[in-house]
Amino acid sequence: MHHQNRKKLPIHFGTGIVASLLVTALFMAMRLAPTEQSMGPVQRILYIHVSVAWSGLLGFALMGVCAMLYLFHRNLAWDQWSQAANEVGWLCSSLTLLTGSFWAHAAWGTWWTWDPRLTSSLLLWALYTGCLIVRGSIHESHLRARITSSLAILGLLDLPLVIMATRWFRGMHPVAPEMEPMMLLTLLWNLVGFSLFFGLLLTRRRRQLQAEGLLGELELEALAGRKSSLNNRVPSLFPDGGLR
Amino acid sequence: MLTKFYWMVTKDLVSEFRARQAWPAMLMLGVLVSFLFSTQLEGSAEQRSSLAGMLIWLAIYFAGVLAQHRTFAMEQEEGCWDALRMYPVDTSWIYLAKFTVNFLALAALQAVVLSLFVIFSNVPMLDHPLRILTIAGLGNLGLTSVSTLLGGVWAVNRQGPSMLAFLTLPLAIPVLLGASEATRMTLGHESGPLWWRWLGLLVVFAIVFVAAGIVLFELLIEE
Repeated sequence: MHHQNRKKLPIHFGTGIVASLLVTALFMAMRLAPTEQSMGPVQRILYIHVSVAWSGLLGFALMGVCAMLYLFHRNLAWDQWSQAANEVGWLCSSLTLLTGSFWAHAAWGTWWTWDPRLTSSLLLWALYTGCLIVRGSIHESHLRARITSSLAILGLLDLPLVIMATRWFRGMHPVAPEMEPMMLLTLLWNLVGFSLFFGLLLTRRRRQLQAEGLLGELELEALAGRKSSLNNRVPSLFPDGGLR
Repeated sequence: MLTKFYWMVTKDLVSEFRARQAWPAMLMLGVLVSFLFSTQLEGSAEQRSSLAGMLIWLAIYFAGVLAQHRTFAMEQEEGCWDALRMYPVDTSWIYLAKFTVNFLALAALQAVVLSLFVIFSNVPMLDHPLRILTIAGLGNLGLTSVSTLLGGVWAVNRQGPSMLAFLTLPLAIPVLLGASEATRMTLGHESGPLWWRWLGLLVVFAIVFVAAGIVLFELLIEE
């Protein structure tokens, strides 16, 4: 029991650090950062909006890189990382659109405008969603990994061109506005906090997918009536010996 | 190798000529969409030109790209897919043959759509024929590269064809924006660095996605 708890300690320690960073970041955003003069308190949404937008882009890049690594090594672990990045990135991308809409409504008086940055964010969300839908429609693991990896690489190649094309139009979205030092510190703190939170969600989700994969293999072996060759791999995945 | 490529392209063109499965429906849809869009083009010559660029490319996209996904579907339905894969030729040549057939189909559609816009909406398309042809060719290369590769995805995964339509638009947005902006500027007699920038985007997209198609198609269809 002591051995199992010792194994789980780094996970709890990491989660604790990320949680405290995130709480501090939100406290700074809501309380410590000065109120912006023209927009008022609604501007505080910037700290979250920029952080989730950054995490969304990070997820897309990770998804593409993991897809390339899968196609190179043909190891399903890379596909699990790619899927985790796809799902967590989709969440961040959705939050970007949501927080952006709230902010746009308060600042510009409209929920949506076909501004270049909004358009490219929507297209990023559509690419994420498309990959998720295609992934959900295929059951065979290596076929699914091959197809979604190809799509992820296509998306990764496409994204810079989408951003370039949409931003050549004029837009009203602010580009790196000047900030008070405290505002900048809050923004950077939020970026770090949300990036680490993204990393935590990513690793946890990947662990779930790994467990799902192993369970699937166990089921197949049980159906085939064979003695499982996976028995020695399961304890390393579940240090406490059970499926939580 | 080129002989085998020639026969793969010829096979598709002959079977389309005999069965008339995809091209007539695509061309009819192109006529219908062009006619509907042209009726909405009113106002001064400048206003018509500024709108025509986007409408022309939307008509080409709706009528053409969704039909291009059917390229591999026909092989599956006729039971030719396995035979095609056993053909003693590198996989990338199969992709290039399908790409060529799709390029020709979209070129035929473009000829119809552009002609109809000249007739119905009186936009000055013939003032700069070389520019319009260049934009049409590059836009065709970009759209065809995306739709052929996604058609290949359909060939190996028959469960989610409708999902591919969802992916095609975000992937093709740079081509649609680039081609429609370059067309709008050409119709408005504008030229200069901005026009070349849009053309550059079309060139980069075509190169990147044709190359990606050749590489990824082989990885997609392997057993």
